[in-house]
Amino acid sequence: MKKLLHAFLLVALASIFVVQAKAQVIVIANPSVKASEVSKNDLKDVFTGASTTLGGGNVVPILLKGGTANDEFLQAYIGKNDTAYRAGWRSLVFSGQATMPKSLDGDAAVVEFVAHNAGAIGYIGKASAHEGVKVLTVK
Amino acid sequence: MKQVTGRLMAGGVLAALTLTMVLHAQEFKIGKYDVQAHGFGTQGYIKTNDNNWLTMQTSGDGSGVFTDAGLNLGSQITSKLRFGGQVYSRKLGALGDWHPQLDWGMADYKAKPWLGFRGGKVKTVLGLYNDVQDLDFANTYALLPQSIYPIDLRDAMIAHEGGDIYGRTKLAGGLGTIAYTAYGGRRSDSMSSGYPYELKSAVGIHLTSYGGPVFGGDLRWLTPVKNLKLGMSRQNERISAAGTFAGAPYAERSRHDWTNQFYGQYTANRWHAESEYKRYYRDQIASYGTPGAFDIDQDIRGWYVGGGFTVNKWLEGGSYFSHYRDIYGGNLPIVYADAATKDLDKVVTAKFTLNRFTTVKVEGHFMDGAPNEFYPAGFYAAENPKGFANDTNAVVVRTGLSF
Repeated sequence: MKKLLHAFLLVALASIFVVQAKAQVIVIANPSVKASEVSKNDLKDVFTGASTTLGGGNVVPILLKGGTANDEFLQAYIGKNDTAYRAGWRSLVFSGQATMPKSLDGDAAVVEFVAHNAGAIGYIGKASAHEGVKVLTVK
Repeated sequence: MKQVTGRLMAGGVLAALTLTMVLHAQEFKIGKYDVQAHGFGTQGYIKTNDNNWLTMQTSGDGSGVFTDAGLNLGSQITSKLRFGGQVYSRKLGALGDWHPQLDWGMADYKAKPWLGFRGGKVKTVLGLYNDVQDLDFANTYALLPQSIYPIDLRDAMIAHEGGDIYGRTKLAGGLGTIAYTAYGGRRSDSMSSGYPYELKSAVGIHLTSYGGPVFGGDLRWLTPVKNLKLGMSRQNERISAAGTFAGAPYAERSRHDWTNQFYGQYTANRWHAESEYKRYYRDQIASYGTPGAFDIDQDIRGWYVGGGFTVNKWLEGGSYFSHYRDIYGGNLPIVYADAATKDLDKVVTAKFTLNRFTTVKVEGHFMDGAPNEFYPAGFYAAENPKGFANDTNAVVVRTGLSF
């Protein structure tokens, strides 16, 4: 019984960490993007090239080149590691179905780009400054 | 020789790793437009215990004449309009011969999520992997199931000159999403592909052209069951060929030429599982001198079941069972042995992802049968002049680089 309780506590603790990990990333968009919230499925579609629209308007995904926020975003919302994720995009590129999204060097660069390009949507660490963009709630 | 081959493979991996340090996707401007450049390449080695495979001298010391590369340019002109193209070249044993070809080159206009248009030379959507069959980095396996995606016939299947209509839409009531592609155009085979080589090397027929109108479609359902995809494809062709045989004109034309393909794929966290069934039926009239001299009728049925498991970011394991059967008809008085009509291939793979750009795969094939009828299926008479053994075991090592 004690072991069962320990296992339960461990799982509960792990769940908290997972939730916290998700909470460390925010999804941002250019103010021209009509949507103010996005479902996890729609977000995945946009960031895997399956869809180019959100809330009835065209959107363009912007990626981080790497780092913790990038890994957390991919794990939480795409379900892939960075290598597998980019391989998926390259498949679309080499089969003529898409062009690769821009990958920028850090949160500030993503905020800067998203703020100044209509339809741009990206992700950054929660603690990063994000003036000039709107934050989308992920349902 | 084995040491030399080992060194070559090691050198290949080292070179690939070095290249990845200097090669990254390039982006530059033409006028006001951003243009992206990407590329990929693979180097493979195959060793068989018996039978030479895929036009290579794979028995004995094995063969490393298994190389391909592609270079890709693309530009998103507006949010709806995109241009792109890709040049591809390969050397697979006696096939390819490094002839560079326009793999695809097209304009893509996506008017709505449910309505898009592609025109030019367009990759053909047929089943799960036809349009991505040579993207080694994206696939678990070093060789996709040869019953469905024969690498020696890549040129025949990969693209068509014409146009596509495509789109996707969510179904009401939470029934998932439907994605469709419909296309029409023309197929034009390279003369260094498997079928022309088979005719030349086994029969002495020298083709100068092979192709014709092609149209078809693909419908896939992303079901309400998370990550479960089901689909079907259909393709119709009207093939004609011209060439010479024993100094006389040789010609072929289709009476029937069609493909049906059904598929399903499920992914869950680290797992993926997929299965496909394909039936390819061709009924050709071949003539040399006297029209209608003989009829070639083939009913090729293939299927596979496979799957993979990602152990960690470096390693993925996979396995599949691929079943190929060619039912020969027509009016030629030929009787084939059972082993000459089938290939039952049991495969295990380990895929090592060294970094974002480089993969190495090691794969074992255990094949029952060596199909060598009138239509190519991996085993060619020219490389097996003493005949065919019934069983073949093969090890495939393949290094891939993409950026």
